Amino acid sequence: MVDFPQSTRRNAIDTIAPESALRVRWRRSTELTAKILSNPATVLGFAIIVAMFFMAIFAPWITTANTPDPYQMPRDWGATRMPPGTPGYPLGTTNEGGDVYYGIVWGTRMSLQLSITVVGITLVVGSIIGSLAGFIGGKLDEVLMRIVDVFLSIPELIFALAIAAILGPSFGNIMFALAVVFWVKYARIMRARVIQIKNSDYIDAARIIGDSKLNIYFRDILPNSFTPVMVQATLDMGNVVLIAATLSFIGLGEAGIAEWGVLVSEGQAGIASGRWWASTFPGLMIFLWALAFNLVGDGLRDALDPRTESSR
Amino acid sequence: MQLKDYIIRRLIILPFLIIGVSVVVFSLTRIGGSPVGIYLSHEMSQEQVAEIEARFHLDKSLPVQYFYWARGVLSGDFGWSGVSVAPVAEVFPKKLAATMELAVASGIVAVAIGVWLGTFAGARRNKPADHITRIVAVSGASMPNFWFAILLLIVFWANLGWAPIGRASPELFAAVPQRTGLYTVDSLIAGNLNAFFDALWHLMLPAITLGYGATAIIARMMRSSLVEELQQDYVDAARAKGLPERLVLKKHARRNALIPTVTVIGLTFGFLLQGTVSIEIIFRWPGIGKWMADSVLRGDQATLMTYVLFTSILFLFVNLVVDIIYANLDRRVELGK
Repeated sequence: MVDFPQSTRRNAIDTIAPESALRVRWRRSTELTAKILSNPATVLGFAIIVAMFFMAIFAPWITTANTPDPYQMPRDWGATRMPPGTPGYPLGTTNEGGDVYYGIVWGTRMSLQLSITVVGITLVVGSIIGSLAGFIGGKLDEVLMRIVDVFLSIPELIFALAIAAILGPSFGNIMFALAVVFWVKYARIMRARVIQIKNSDYIDAARIIGDSKLNIYFRDILPNSFTPVMVQATLDMGNVVLIAATLSFIGLGEAGIAEWGVLVSEGQAGIASGRWWASTFPGLMIFLWALAFNLVGDGLRDALDPRTESSR
Repeated sequence: MQLKDYIIRRLIILPFLIIGVSVVVFSLTRIGGSPVGIYLSHEMSQEQVAEIEARFHLDKSLPVQYFYWARGVLSGDFGWSGVSVAPVAEVFPKKLAATMELAVASGIVAVAIGVWLGTFAGARRNKPADHITRIVAVSGASMPNFWFAILLLIVFWANLGWAPIGRASPELFAAVPQRTGLYTVDSLIAGNLNAFFDALWHLMLPAITLGYGATAIIARMMRSSLVEELQQDYVDAARAKGLPERLVLKKHARRNALIPTVTVIGLTFGFLLQGTVSIEIIFRWPGIGKWMADSVLRGDQATLMTYVLFTSILFLFVNLVVDIIYANLDRRVELGK
């Protein structure tokens, strides 16, 4: 992992040679960007993500939003079980006359909301807990890490499934369950990183200048600890959608909403009679979403890991 | 740290982790409100309800309730399964056998294909074969397994009619005595080859579906550790003494590259177990995964919690065993970190 200070004011290197530090930082970040973009798989992942975000943001413009709740599938009882290519229904309709295309587009919006909410909350909570455990150490560290160990002992899908099942089927409960399960990884990664930085030379330097503990934590340690958790967060943007879809598929989602897992589950009934489209298209979206974030996450990890220089 | 000390330390921590997991599981059952509901009917008076609460210690404080619950679990009382209309402990072993048969079959598929694919790609680094393997691996990790299962069913069941659904043809297995609960093993013991091939035939699609994701994880790990091994000095030495490349790969590099892969194979087990939930729903496989899904939908807490507790503890043990194997294989591993 590249180790360079980002905080601007109090680092020793900044005091000695402010211009060169800035230049080094600039050069490193352009090099990093070039390295990330040199991997075609990563670029493909970025392209899919951009397309998905576009779809999510412009959903009300590329489809006619259902009223009153646009996240409910519109039903056209006069056009049930239509195959793809039917005028007005490019990807066909479900058993209940739901427009598969509509479900796919609004499903992107749901996935975007879900992933940003869950990853956002778990990233912040996990990072705070992990960094405090690593920075303060001692009893606090011991207690927090044992809690983390227990949480990590329960397989994540099963844990989320149990929580969502107790709370009852709803999209909000799935989000909550995922948040309870996912913060632990960030806590562990953040703690390891903070301990590593805490023992590095430039923190010693900051201590020697006489920086307060609070300053060191907020100015030097926190800003420099985010790289590894960001890689995990990128991967999790895909993972949470995958797991949420699985929970919905199992039956913990709300019937009739434009969510990919629910759509795959509802479309499953038709495959025996040859209606393949109602499951296939929404599932493809889940796959592409997860694939895109996995590709970018992998690319980021490779680019940030100095060892890959030799092993790629 | 010595290997023995390390194992002892891990074994000491293990019970605490299990207690921790059980506290989490117990707390979950109480978040959903008092479990007294399943014993009640509309005709009961207040006194009768209070009596039932007292009988199951539900009128006590939560820590006391936990104590009674844990005592029940330790003596094999996991409660009443509303879905199966039988005690959980009675139904569990049969369902578990079905799931284990599926998980082990997928595991075999995944390890065999994964190690082969990883070696294949690692030995052809940055060639087209490597890139294709990489795509297969990343897509395996991103594939929603329930969707993959449906795609396979659309092709092989709905359209081609090649693959069946369910665990076995009942008429064939009526005559097979169930000793282990594993249909493939039972039919072999009975010497009934028809039944054996029927069981295999039913196992094929779900095992491939479930194994695909795990194959991807194993292949990826195998590839990267083989690439790393192939750059070591001892590989150069083996080549320099004139050993054919095939033997360098087989006798030297692959053997060492397998060491880190073992860890991943262990982690894969948890992955397979989680995956059985949706796979069993789709293929109507009568295992604990489908049981879990049914109990989720019907609010059967006892079944649900037994499942969570069981899989977590199994997961803990598997991880411990994997760590020990890993430490044994590779003495360079720093123990206790």
